[in-house]
Amino acid sequence: MTVHFDPYDHDTHDNPYPVYRALRDEAPLYYAEPYKVWVLSRYADCSRALRDFKTFTNGQGTAVDVAKEQMPTVLDSDPPTHTRLRHLMSGMFTPEAVQPLEQVVRDMALDLLTPHIANGQLDIIGDFAARLPMAIICKLLGFPREDEDMVRRWTDLVLQRDEATTEMPQHAVDATLKLFEYFERLMTERAGRPARDDLVGHLMASEKEGKLSHQEVLGYLYILSIAGNETTTKLIGNITYQLHRHPDQRALLLNDMAMLPAAIEETLRFDGPTQQMARTVGRDVEMHGRTLKPGDRITMLFISANRDERHYQSAELFDIRRNPRDHLAFGGGLHSCLGAALARLEAKVAMQEILRLMPDFRVDEAGLRRMHSPAVRGYTHVPVEFTPSQGVRLSA
Amino acid sequence: MPKVTYVEAGGAEHVVDVDPGLSVMEGSILNEVPGIIGLCGGICSCATCHCYIEGEWADRLSAPTEGELAMLERASERKGSSRLGCQVVVTEALDGMVVHLPAHQAIGED
Repeated sequence: MTVHFDPYDHDTHDNPYPVYRALRDEAPLYYAEPYKVWVLSRYADCSRALRDFKTFTNGQGTAVDVAKEQMPTVLDSDPPTHTRLRHLMSGMFTPEAVQPLEQVVRDMALDLLTPHIANGQLDIIGDFAARLPMAIICKLLGFPREDEDMVRRWTDLVLQRDEATTEMPQHAVDATLKLFEYFERLMTERAGRPARDDLVGHLMASEKEGKLSHQEVLGYLYILSIAGNETTTKLIGNITYQLHRHPDQRALLLNDMAMLPAAIEETLRFDGPTQQMARTVGRDVEMHGRTLKPGDRITMLFISANRDERHYQSAELFDIRRNPRDHLAFGGGLHSCLGAALARLEAKVAMQEILRLMPDFRVDEAGLRRMHSPAVRGYTHVPVEFTPSQGVRLSA
Repeated sequence: MPKVTYVEAGGAEHVVDVDPGLSVMEGSILNEVPGIIGLCGGICSCATCHCYIEGEWADRLSAPTEGELAMLERASERKGSSRLGCQVVVTEALDGMVVHLPAHQAIGED
């Protein structure tokens, strides 16, 4: 059998896992001709590419397609620029630093969930998970609350892809420019006023001190807006879906909610939202009998790596008792997801409240809708039904 | 520029230059010293930059935060001198520091 893999194919987005397995077994270094990219699918290869940052570089972009209208970002840069950019924020995104947000996250989660509890139905994404991470990142950044929906529409458009795309589509370019215009407007408004203690304020101060160029400030706001939004939304949807599909695992969790962090890690491993990221080869490297040359593009299929039976036992089994610590759902190494601790906190609070308020939820599978992107896999609609209640608000 | 000596569990020594402001984890990764993984990229979330800093060098460091201590619970082969490399910032005052690396970093399943 000849393996065929197209990261933009909508049927593949529905269930990429069989083709990932075929890639791992039959073509661990696969060339996706239309996109001119080598595809890595095994854990050992993805892990190596993540760690060897001199051979597999970020400076020429990390999207599979050709990005446009980009500003320099912490993601699409290499040391020493990367190190300088990452240091500005890394202390603000440790588990200890984000922990004080737990009550804010819970209050927002309850504001969003409570109106639906008496009805016995809601859309986990549209009514809840699409809004929660955006509300939190907007609060951290310092964007006005009334701008949240607008910013979220633009960040959704930045990621949305049609089939057989080899470069960033016009709607994504337009949304990118709208975001930059918005950031400029916001910073112009704030420039004359007293400094505020939020990420916009922090970045504006860093520019004033000469630590960042203006373009780097725009790039940082862009990546924080997008990364802080889309993937956590999809993670909450994917956890909900997997617990629906695996009632035995939901029963285990309801019986012992202390297993929730492990259930989140297992969902990240088994069905994490970030499917892949690309690199550019910086120096000759041998892989599977072939020499990759400087300028060659590779992409790492993180969730295929996470399901590699060469690394995990019964890798294609969803088991919340596993508690994997080395999955690649957040990437790994120098460019590992800056917001991972925040995503874990948001997912934990979201699932605590969902499982407390609607422990018997059932996903209406006919109503599931998926977003289409080679980079992010998850739903745009996850309608659920459950036994209605009064939704008592517990004080934490 | 401060020099830091990383000593692998097997005894191999690597003396490298580390820019002030970089962490002990970054000093090893950027210089391609083996023994530290740094899976989470320095947000104190994985304990795969576990190392030992002893004696006078330990005395010159600020004490680990509660977050670092909590994450060190995950480290295998933990000792009194255990630190997470991502939470120790290299300064000029640490020129000559010796960092010992464990044989294994905590990675895998529980």
